[in-house]
Amino acid sequence: MLAIALIVFREVLEASLIVGIVLAASVGIPRRGRWVAAGVAGGVLGAALVAAFAASIAGAFQGNGQELLNATVLCLAVCMLGWHNIWMARHAREMAANAGNVGRQVASGARPLAALALITGAAVLREGSETVLFVFGILAGTQTGLAGLLAGGLLGLAGGAASGAAIYFGLLRIPLHRLFQVTSWMVLLLAAGLAAQAAAFLVQANLLPPLGNEIWDTSWLLSENSLAGRVLHTLIGYVAQPEGIQLVAFAVTLLAIGVPMKLIARPRRTTMVAAALLALGLCGLPHAAHADLQVRMPTVEYRELEFEHNGLLTFGPKGSGFDHAQSYTNSIGYGVLPWWRLELEGEMASGAGQHLYWTATTLENTFQLTEPGEYAFNLGFFAEYSQSTLRGVASGITAGPIVQKELSDTLGVDSLHTLNLFLTHEVGHDTSHATGLDIAWQSVVRWKPLIAPGFEYYGTISDIAHAGPFDRQQHLIGPVLTGQYNFAPYGTLGYEVGYLWGLTAGSPRSAIRWRLEYEIAF
Amino acid sequence: MRLIPPLLTPLLLACLALPAQADPPSYTLTIQNHRFQPEELQVAAGQRFKVIVVNRDPTPEEFESTDMHREKVVTGGGKITVYIGPLPAGTYTFFGDFHPQQARGHIVVK
Repeated sequence: MLAIALIVFREVLEASLIVGIVLAASVGIPRRGRWVAAGVAGGVLGAALVAAFAASIAGAFQGNGQELLNATVLCLAVCMLGWHNIWMARHAREMAANAGNVGRQVASGARPLAALALITGAAVLREGSETVLFVFGILAGTQTGLAGLLAGGLLGLAGGAASGAAIYFGLLRIPLHRLFQVTSWMVLLLAAGLAAQAAAFLVQANLLPPLGNEIWDTSWLLSENSLAGRVLHTLIGYVAQPEGIQLVAFAVTLLAIGVPMKLIARPRRTTMVAAALLALGLCGLPHAAHADLQVRMPTVEYRELEFEHNGLLTFGPKGSGFDHAQSYTNSIGYGVLPWWRLELEGEMASGAGQHLYWTATTLENTFQLTEPGEYAFNLGFFAEYSQSTLRGVASGITAGPIVQKELSDTLGVDSLHTLNLFLTHEVGHDTSHATGLDIAWQSVVRWKPLIAPGFEYYGTISDIAHAGPFDRQQHLIGPVLTGQYNFAPYGTLGYEVGYLWGLTAGSPRSAIRWRLEYEIAF
Repeated sequence: MRLIPPLLTPLLLACLALPAQADPPSYTLTIQNHRFQPEELQVAAGQRFKVIVVNRDPTPEEFESTDMHREKVVTGGGKITVYIGPLPAGTYTFFGDFHPQQARGHIVVK
């Protein structure tokens, strides 16, 4: 009986936790209880149907029916969780402020009631169908009597439901204005974890490459089959031995839901942002697209598709523009010709305590002028046009040479040294007609493909005609760790993470920058 | 529903990039009295293979493995095919999720 209770409990647990979180995340939405209940009922019915037709489902789609059904149900839940979260980002403030008469406050626009029903339905369907199969299997067998089965099943069901109730009432203890902040993060992680599960099913169906069977192994620390492991598996998507594709699915979902959620959280007030950014010194750089610091490479990979993310977080005295200012770029690029890569980049930025805003859209060109290793130096040329999306901030062009030197087995190590010397010039409205200079230098020791440490330097003179004293310019220097991992034939994942110290009063006191890129031949 | 395209596009792109594959070597596991027979399989490293799970019990079972990332229900008296790998050399465990104490086994990849 206890064995039955345990297995039923385990299956019910995941669905129950999801329902608990969704109920807490939707406090104050009128008639949500009814829709969630409908979702649970629909899920139970669906679970019974799936169990009844288990054999035919397993045989469908060349034997991949189960995998595809699971992946579809999970993807549906992920989309609905995303919709719910983005909707809540728009309305959470007013809901927390007017908890009493939310009905009128949120009457405009579709409420995510159907989403609530679909999320709970999907969760119950997925876990429920296995429970139904298991229970009926025991009925068909002979070892356990009906009484034992009923007792065990009900005990397990009660235990699972109690866990869901515990998380729901636990969350409700949080004050309302903080509750939605907490639940939106929980829903975000929940969705990312479910997406990773869906990815694993698609690998099993041979529709996705695994990108590595085991990127790391933490099963010695926390087994996925333990109770804590299972709870964390549901709540934050914990996987002890993740496949590469699961990490990709997790990250993509986190960005696909998290970024709109953050962007929508407050209405745009562009002129205010522009003013804030100007005050920040982010626009002290001639144009917005250089707010992030990075070193460009002079090489082009022909026919390679590249996704790239850069992030920069600066620190400075409270009230200065550098205090917790953030800037991110996301781009997609392609090696159109053996010597030309084209990239489209979006940039977002914000100052301390502010929300992120889309600040610029940029078209970038990298021209490879020499074959790597052909001459003493590798040469490239970089040119971009950056269209500002904020009033009061100018658009700009940036162009200049990239010089790189590879040293093999010098002082016992292989190393790579890269210099960018770029001129920047504002164009269009709101320009000061200033021409600036951006210098970037990176030197790394190629210890292992995955680990190449070194240092980098960034200097910015926003107007070379009036460069001013050294102390007013921006100069930063610090250590960097770079590396890449080749998932051949499924592309290459590269990373850079650096810490920088400001050398002058006109620089941030310190900064953290990172970069993630994924390249695949296409 | 603007979320669907950004979520699915990479998946679809990845589908297109997959190469066609020949039928890989096949191994059979039989479930009887909630136990796998045999309880150990030996397969070659770096090669995709398929495991056919035949359930001789009247009760359903779930073939599951955490380190090989597989979970698939096989109904009472039913049969499923699970494609696995290519895997690096090592020992990987699988179990029947509905009878995790009795139904256990491992795959040795070398």
